[in-house]
Amino acid sequence: MIAFERRESAGWIAQAIAYLLAIAAGLLASVVLITITGADVADGLGALWQGAFGDAEAIGQSLAAAIPLVFTGLATVVAFRAGIWNIGQEGQVFAGAMAGYWMSLQLAGAPAIVAVPAVVLASVAGGAAVAALCAVLKTRFDVNEIISTMMLNYIIVYLLSYLLAGGPWIEAGSTAYHQTPLIADTFRLPELFGLHLGAPLALLATAAVALVIGRTPLGFELRGLGFNPVALRYKGVRVATTIVMAMAISGALSALAGVSEVFGINFRLRAEVLNGLGYTGIIVGMIGALNPWGTLVAALAFGAMANGALYMSVLTDVPSALVPAMQGILLLFVLGAAVLTRYRLRFGRKDGRHG
Amino acid sequence: MQRQPVLSVRGLTKTFGPVRANDAVSFDVGAGELVCLFGENGAGKSTLSACLAGLHSPDGGEIVLNGEPVRFSTAADAIVAGIALVHQHFLLVDDFTVLENIVLGHERGLFVNYRAAEKKLRALCRRYGISVRPDARVGDLTVGERQWVELLKALYHEAAVLILDEPTATLDLQESRKLFRIIDELKTAGVALVLISHSLAEVMRSDRVVVLRQGRVVGERATSETTPQELTRLMIGREVERKHRGSSRPGRPCLDVEHVTIRRPGGAPILDDISFSVAEGEIFGLAGVAGNGQKPLMEAIAGVLPFSSGRVLIDGELLADLDVHGIQKLGVGHIPEDRLSEGLVGDFSIAENIALGSHRDVFADGHFLNRGAIRVAAAVAIADYQIAAPSAETRARALSGGNAQRVVLARELAAASRVLLANQPTRGLDVGVIEYIHDRLIEKRAAGCAVVLASSELEDLLNLSDRIGVMFQGRLMGIVDARSTSIEEIGLMMAGQKREAA
Ligand SMILES: Nc1ncnc2c1ncn2[C@@H]1O[C@H](COP(=O)(O)OP(=O)(O)OP(=O)(O)O)[C@@H](O)[C@H]1O
Ligand SMILES: [Mg+2]
Repeated sequence: MIAFERRESAGWIAQAIAYLLAIAAGLLASVVLITITGADVADGLGALWQGAFGDAEAIGQSLAAAIPLVFTGLATVVAFRAGIWNIGQEGQVFAGAMAGYWMSLQLAGAPAIVAVPAVVLASVAGGAAVAALCAVLKTRFDVNEIISTMMLNYIIVYLLSYLLAGGPWIEAGSTAYHQTPLIADTFRLPELFGLHLGAPLALLATAAVALVIGRTPLGFELRGLGFNPVALRYKGVRVATTIVMAMAISGALSALAGVSEVFGINFRLRAEVLNGLGYTGIIVGMIGALNPWGTLVAALAFGAMANGALYMSVLTDVPSALVPAMQGILLLFVLGAAVLTRYRLRFGRKDGRHG
Repeated sequence: MQRQPVLSVRGLTKTFGPVRANDAVSFDVGAGELVCLFGENGAGKSTLSACLAGLHSPDGGEIVLNGEPVRFSTAADAIVAGIALVHQHFLLVDDFTVLENIVLGHERGLFVNYRAAEKKLRALCRRYGISVRPDARVGDLTVGERQWVELLKALYHEAAVLILDEPTATLDLQESRKLFRIIDELKTAGVALVLISHSLAEVMRSDRVVVLRQGRVVGERATSETTPQELTRLMIGREVERKHRGSSRPGRPCLDVEHVTIRRPGGAPILDDISFSVAEGEIFGLAGVAGNGQKPLMEAIAGVLPFSSGRVLIDGELLADLDVHGIQKLGVGHIPEDRLSEGLVGDFSIAENIALGSHRDVFADGHFLNRGAIRVAAAVAIADYQIAAPSAETRARALSGGNAQRVVLARELAAASRVLLANQPTRGLDVGVIEYIHDRLIEKRAAGCAVVLASSELEDLLNLSDRIGVMFQGRLMGIVDARSTSIEEIGLMMAGQKREAA
């Protein structure tokens, strides 16, 4: 028989090895999956690699695909480290994009120097407000945040589909596509080295989240909140305020994902370009071990996979739907590794009793 | 009389990284025998009992139960095999009822016969005179009541070996007596018992004492052939003298509690019209059976628990408009009853726990934490209070019970410049350090602090306090002068008799 035994701590080397093994195992399982679909594995993976890293353009697109995931991943880190189970990233991405778009309508004709910061600020405020609403429901009325953020996801996503499906925001003359007209040049995020402003913002956000969590009193309270809110209350931390702050920051980060997709890449608001960014961000943050820099790495990997997948599905007969499945498999293996590092296997008789 | 020991530990070793918590420990317990494990904070007593109960897996050595070597993967394994542990920091599920906690995870088979289980449990409660409702949610119980739940769990499973890790730390005098009556009954029934305690009076009630020091057995004595002095010497390498404390000359009033009341819907008030005043340079003792309002009273003063009516003033300033943090900034230190849930963040390091509460002022530097200052404060705390830990980065949950308590003490004594609210400050500390903490309390008094001290040790209260207030069912039965009162007088008031003339 094989038994699990709890172990008190695993060194970071052991943890790193466990992680690498988990990723290797996840890739292996993905290969099995591709084989099952009947496609040629070498072709499929080759195409995936080509699409993700084949040339400078591919790399640029992979990076661009990673940007929103960095934001939603960081949003997950901030909330989950505080022990708040915010799964409303999806809705907060939408809310951010919608608030930004609304602002662009208000400021039509404004010069870029005003327009871009205004859009970014509006969208951050939108995402933060939606998330903070759930936080207040939690602290005031004891509404579970998992439920409230989840429900709000639906409400916000449907609100956008109302606004676009024949609603006030739909592009004039278009009925086939539920989308807004193109956004004026002045509102688009400026480009730097072939990437839009979101790229440096994502890096900055990663550093900022790492700094806030590790080095500031607020981050200290966030971490403490995730561990033992009672002791925090006894030591005079305003727990309700801290929860609202954590959620607002989390929502603001998600909103930036919406901004970069709409104002950095697509230049119009459309549900399809936002779908799944929030949910994927939860996976990215978890695979990044709720560590900001780990999350950055995970987001880059997921961005590359998503981008490569497009190419793969065009060039080979591997369905691109396999990529989300691969991401799910990776998550399972990595989470499994995280649990396993806390246990050790023992071979022998099951229980201690003499049998 | 000794045939074969029920439990025999052979060379048991357990390490946590660099820490050798147990180092080749060997001892035996026979049927109907009460063996006491005695040793300093961090000597490895809890680790040893956790190994025996299947919570830790030892790195080396053997556990022999009734002549057969055993190994456990889980606590459930150990209970099935007949070893039960009443853990120092309880391992109960808050959201489960008492009955569920006792039954779940330990029943064989798929279904639990709750009705039969409840009947058995009620019979046990009657038999041993324990009053805990089987359907009460464990999260709603006091620490003392949880202690009984842990014990009931052991009794329910009819353990052959029962290990009690500092059971009396959370019990008051009467309850401790009751526990020892139960222990005596179990002895007669042939159960092998292991008791961990820092109280010499309790240690002297055992049959044999095994003294641990830094993970090793440094001595074993038949209790009838040793003395408390010898045991202390074995344990810390020196004797401890109990100092007598003179009383002080209190100054002007510092802490004023006026008519503080906490009502409870549909029940007797939690606090009923409490009024007293503590002067600077005075220690005000709070006596009373645990659960008679000492905890809510301290929490009300500290701002943690809102009260229905009445008011509290410090140096004439009304606390009503201040929150917990504001009150702390006036110089109020609060040592809460439950160190692990209320006093510390288990996953924070010692250093972070020292900073907790002052992380926005004393230990902040602009927008950032002042990590240098935190490191220094932690180093000072570790040195002053002799906290046994590999480093200031050690997480609080890895500390032994007594060492965790020292972290709370270090932080709160440093914070208390005007008022110190100390609820059982020496709970879980070894005898070597209790006197040191008492010295610090006296120091606080000399420095002009108003100290409110609750303790289940009446002798300590009489020794340290200037005046003593006695609580019963949320009321203050009277205030007596510590120099002229007696244990008997306080005992009567604790039982609910009002004092005639105050
Ligand atoms: N989970 C853990 N991880 C790391 N170190 C630990 C862990 N548990 C205990 N230790 C260390 O092992 C040593 C022994 O601790 P233990 O809790 O057994 O002491 P103890 O004798 O019960 O003390 P006390 O009287 O204070 O309860 C201590 O140095 C403690 O810091
Ligand atoms: Mg202990």
